[in-house]
Amino acid sequence: MSRRFSNVCMTLAFMGLFLFLGSSCAKKQVQVSEPPKAAPVQEVKKEAPAPVEDAAAKEAKLRAEKEKQLEKMRKAFEDESIYFDFDKYEIKADAKTTLQKKADFLAANTRYSLRIEGHCDERGTNEYNLALGERRANSAKEFLVALGIAPARITTISYGEERPAVEGSNEDAWSKNRRDEFKLIY
Amino acid sequence: MRGSLFSLIFLVLILLGGVNGHARIFIDINSPSAKKFAVAIPDFRNESPQSGSPEFAAGLAQIISNDLDLSGYFSPMDKGAFLEGGNTGEDSVNFKNWSVIGTELLVKASYACVGQSLELDLKLYDVYWGRQILGKRVLGETRNHRELMHRLSNDIIRLLTGSDGIAMTRLAFVGDATKNKEIYISDYDGQKAKQLTSDKSIVLSPRWSPDGKRIIYNSYKDNKGPRLYMRDLRAGAVKTISGRPGLNIGATWSPEGNRVALTLTEKGNSDIFLIDLNGNIVKQLTDHWAIDVSPSFSPDGSKMAFVSNRAGGTPQIYVMTISDGSVERITFESKYCTSPSWSSRNRIAFASQSNGALDIYTIAPDGSQMRRVTSGTRDNEDPCWSPDGRYIVFSSNRTGRYRLFLTNETGDNQRMITNLPGNQTAPSWTR
Repeated sequence: MSRRFSNVCMTLAFMGLFLFLGSSCAKKQVQVSEPPKAAPVQEVKKEAPAPVEDAAAKEAKLRAEKEKQLEKMRKAFEDESIYFDFDKYEIKADAKTTLQKKADFLAANTRYSLRIEGHCDERGTNEYNLALGERRANSAKEFLVALGIAPARITTISYGEERPAVEGSNEDAWSKNRRDEFKLIY
Repeated sequence: MRGSLFSLIFLVLILLGGVNGHARIFIDINSPSAKKFAVAIPDFRNESPQSGSPEFAAGLAQIISNDLDLSGYFSPMDKGAFLEGGNTGEDSVNFKNWSVIGTELLVKASYACVGQSLELDLKLYDVYWGRQILGKRVLGETRNHRELMHRLSNDIIRLLTGSDGIAMTRLAFVGDATKNKEIYISDYDGQKAKQLTSDKSIVLSPRWSPDGKRIIYNSYKDNKGPRLYMRDLRAGAVKTISGRPGLNIGATWSPEGNRVALTLTEKGNSDIFLIDLNGNIVKQLTDHWAIDVSPSFSPDGSKMAFVSNRAGGTPQIYVMTISDGSVERITFESKYCTSPSWSSRNRIAFASQSNGALDIYTIAPDGSQMRRVTSGTRDNEDPCWSPDGRYIVFSSNRTGRYRLFLTNETGDNQRMITNLPGNQTAPSWTR
């Protein structure tokens, strides 16, 4: 799959190179007649914004407000993690509610894709915790997919015990570190 | 302690003719509770022109003293108890001055630093018999003085045990002094530590190749999860070995050094695979819905220890026979057993949790003869055997941050060997 993708990239790159070489060759050939062409293009650009200034400003303001609202939702989305029991990767009841909200957001905002990061508390062994972290991320992914989110929109990564949310060696810290974090990508 | 008769019970004295290098104390290193020999190492005598490098008088002696201490066969004596220093006349050792304070072995040496070179003359005496049993003259570069001393320590240990010591071996480990996790390499005593990677990310699980020329490790440097890389130590070149989606973790070398076993999750489940050094899958070793991680091969490569939570959801140690894929669980005592490391002498060290703390244990590959190596209120983890299978290096947070500790396999000679900024974890040991 990735090889095919890179082949496509290569082909595109070659085509681009070809076009670039071609156009620069063409430019050389018609060098004298080129300059006048450039001027009208600039003029067109300048003309466009002037007459619709008021409407555009209004629209921009509205869009900014919408963007702000979305930014708030986006932050709320990313700030809410789900938590797990020690050495477990089953989704708990309260986490199901959280995931339902996340599925609603993703369904309404299809331009985003999602990266789920699985984490563990510091106890135990790195390698086992990396596997456990991945299971936690996959549990959440499967849950969201079951709620109708396309699997292609979701990637997962495990950080094991490497990225604690909270420092400390007590159950309070540990319980906050056994988690999935959700990052929106667009 | 003083009675040499007592020590006679534990050692075999072989007296051969001649004065130098023939009289022998023999330490039985297979005896589980071998008595430690009291060794005195007074400061070395400085014979450098214009008394150059006076700091070596105590410094060089300290390196050998530490080597002998780490070996577990000797207890270096406190210099404060000595009745004479190291500067007294050359070949006239007053053995009474040493035997009266309980010395059994005496190391005396003189050195001279000339330009970039260091010349050292070392003699080892059996105090009870009043004989010189080893005489060594070495010449090397001053900047390699640690290596020179380690070599002499090995000579002493080889003479007294018949086995090669570990003083010339090296470690790789993970350190987070830079706030990122990177790989460091050091001498076996934790000295001369040097940062190897600069991925500015999370680097995990370094493992030396059997020939000590390459290290495989995990890094998150491309931000796509833990991928497996191999670094050629001489050339410094880094190659991606396995960059499959998901995990590519916990890799271990096959004994021949041409294959690597690791956990892959590309197919959605965490199973152990055997791959070649170009990353091609040679064989799928485990196929189970449970978590399978942390493979470690037996010395002949016919078996593999690994961690699985297939029974009851808690991680335990299993042993697989590679030829037929049969699997046997070998740990049952605790709800959390991980990090198996299979020694060249066919014992498996692992970390096990009891009362909330991890400790190091060893066990025979058939699950019998389980022995506890560490016990404490904090964690002891990441056990890794010395190449000769007689020592274990592990990480522990018993003093606060994680440090590396070295112990013999019974656990009664535990020594902290690193004290760098940050934490030091995940050691790997090479010849």
